[in-house]
Amino acid sequence: MEVYCKTCQKVLGKIADEKIPHNVKKYVTCKICKEKILLSRKVETLAPVEGIKERKKREVATIKAPATPKQTKTLSASRKTSDRPKGRTFRPQFSGTAGEYFRIWIVNTFLTIVTLGIYAAWAKVRTRRYFYAHTKLAGHPFDYLANPVAILKGNLIMGGGLALYSTSDFFYPSMKIFIGIALAIIFPFLIYKSLRFYAHNSSFRNIRFHFRGGLKESYFNYLLIPLLIPLTFGLITPYWAYKRKGYFFNNFAYGKTGSNFAGRIAPFYRIHAVAAVLIILTLVAALSLFFGLGAGSIAALVAKLGSINSAGPGGKIGQAMLIGAIFSYLTIMLLFTIVQQYVFVRLTNYCWHHSRLGKVMFKSDIQVRKLVWIQMTNILAIICSLGLMAPWAKIRRARYILDNLAVEAYCNLDEFTADVAEDESALGDAATDFFDFEIGL
Amino acid sequence: MIEFRGNYFDGQTSRSYTVTVKLAGQSLSIRGEGLKDIVVPLVDCEITPALGQTTRSILLPGGARCDTDEFKSVAVLERLLGLNPGMRIVNLLESHWQLVAVCFVGLILCTWLFISHGIPVIAKKAAAAIPPKVTEKISLHTLEFLDKNYLAPTKLSENRARELEETFQMLVAGKGKEFDFRLEFREGKIIGANAFALPSGLILMTDELVDMSESDAELIGILYHEITHVEKRHGMRSVFQNAGVFLLVSALAGDIASITSVASTLPTVLAQTGYSRNFEREADEAAGLYMMDKGWGTKPLQDILLRLTKRGANITGMSLISTHPETDERVHNLKLLED
Repeated sequence: MEVYCKTCQKVLGKIADEKIPHNVKKYVTCKICKEKILLSRKVETLAPVEGIKERKKREVATIKAPATPKQTKTLSASRKTSDRPKGRTFRPQFSGTAGEYFRIWIVNTFLTIVTLGIYAAWAKVRTRRYFYAHTKLAGHPFDYLANPVAILKGNLIMGGGLALYSTSDFFYPSMKIFIGIALAIIFPFLIYKSLRFYAHNSSFRNIRFHFRGGLKESYFNYLLIPLLIPLTFGLITPYWAYKRKGYFFNNFAYGKTGSNFAGRIAPFYRIHAVAAVLIILTLVAALSLFFGLGAGSIAALVAKLGSINSAGPGGKIGQAMLIGAIFSYLTIMLLFTIVQQYVFVRLTNYCWHHSRLGKVMFKSDIQVRKLVWIQMTNILAIICSLGLMAPWAKIRRARYILDNLAVEAYCNLDEFTADVAEDESALGDAATDFFDFEIGL
Repeated sequence: MIEFRGNYFDGQTSRSYTVTVKLAGQSLSIRGEGLKDIVVPLVDCEITPALGQTTRSILLPGGARCDTDEFKSVAVLERLLGLNPGMRIVNLLESHWQLVAVCFVGLILCTWLFISHGIPVIAKKAAAAIPPKVTEKISLHTLEFLDKNYLAPTKLSENRARELEETFQMLVAGKGKEFDFRLEFREGKIIGANAFALPSGLILMTDELVDMSESDAELIGILYHEITHVEKRHGMRSVFQNAGVFLLVSALAGDIASITSVASTLPTVLAQTGYSRNFEREADEAAGLYMMDKGWGTKPLQDILLRLTKRGANITGMSLISTHPETDERVHNLKLLED
């Protein structure tokens, strides 16, 4: 076996397995830090201790076929030399409950209104922390560390900018174009800042995450490509999605360990093609429903016409058209939700599958059918409860997505080291939050 | 004696150490396997605020931290240090259903108070604070926009126009000088019979409305209604009120749906219609009182309102949104004024 000191993170030497006694525990002391290292014949010594505690029936510690060519090399190498740790699967455990989050949500909303919006910054941190801290991986929770005061500053700057924008829009409508251009120019910068802020304030086992993506790349992804979309009649849209996902999945880091995205562009085109077909079917269905229902009601009306004296037929036809319109609107909403969830699920699964964080790989097995069901029933519940079921819906969705995410570690989860970075300003975070921009996780 | 178990992370690596944390005098001692004993002064520690049943962390000097689920012990330490006073209250609210219910009632009450009192008062003050130059500019832009898109030059005879303008000047003779009251005529085209008041004091009346009136008393009623809109700054106030409602709804619904969705625009529209109805009522009342003062009674205004509604329904064809109940209510209010 390889004698490895966890504290110094160094391999001290090798001992042949035959020399290790079977039933007696034998220790070796590290020369550098005096830490005692247990000797054993089994390779599992190096595997994370927490894994044994947290393992469930469904968690099988088998190694899945590696996804990327790079990974193949390292893995085949690791199989030959059996003294490397085996892969171990961890599943995030989400322990948030609807009742608990509902209480936090009500108090958050109440305090935000009473403080004229000042508390919104604290509410945001509390909400994010709630979801982070209730997500445990290998027995330890994630944490969200953002300082509410930083977010408050971001909100104030954002609010000031918005007030300025709406007043100038009011007094000098011709300035609108210039302001629009200015916004488009600073937007990629804000996204870049927001990703940095978000990652920097996320931590696991007291090691912060980081975002290492460049500003230039952000301008390429969020200014140049969007400009090209109309010129290419939208054909570039899947490429855009590919670049945006890659920007995130290729550039986040846990401590000093950077991520790597090995996704290819073809699947993005495939997923978007299916979505496009679904959208076209949706429109056809909605239109035929609109005219079908409209025509059907008119036919029924004509049959009954003899008995109607008071209301003119015009109103009835209008009513039939209205019913048709409502039905086709609902069909469109329904099918668009399906398309939206389909794209989200397929892209999320694909991106996690093709991302790597050092020797850690990911798996996401969200099912389109199940997420569509969850989303539909969530929307229905929120509408029927006048919004009061929103916390329940949010918890339910988060639970399903996290339950289907798995982390496969081909190393010890103790091995990651911290990286030094300065604190980030929250301006980008406030801005992207305002524009309702989805960060892509 | 406070003693509890936790997980220690040094902040340099992701390694976790199972430790026992003890409070000894004024310092915390942390012991665990594979870890040199750590003793830190309690005052140098920070503690993350309590949040539901989530793990709490003691932040040690130098970037290390200690996670634990033993909430009671952590709460004692927190109180001892006097940390997170505000968040302790928030957590207290969050942990009891009774207090959450109080917050919920408070939330509804605050929202109602804001909509019925807060926002209108703030909007009134804000509207009064706008310098006349600015209102003039806004009115100019609005006029340009209307002329460009909807209205055409008037086809009214010069005599008739002058006659009405003279009447109008009589109406505004007693009013303050903060507004530049003027009356102008336009052909309404798609808009049809209508009148508008711009914040600066410019009042627009369409030829169609003049043609539709059966007496000058009817037009005076309409003009006085519009003058009241200007005088009470209803235009600017509704701009501010709408902005206020928008902010309120987005604060409320931030978590439910995005600001742009239908679900959150509906309450916004409802609140805004409520405001504009109040303004209409105020303007009707002022016009009605003026007409009664003149000894005409409110009948002419009632008549032209009813005629406008009848025509309006025919012209615009928006039969889905019935305007009748509103007019009926307005006419009813005018009748009540006379009693």
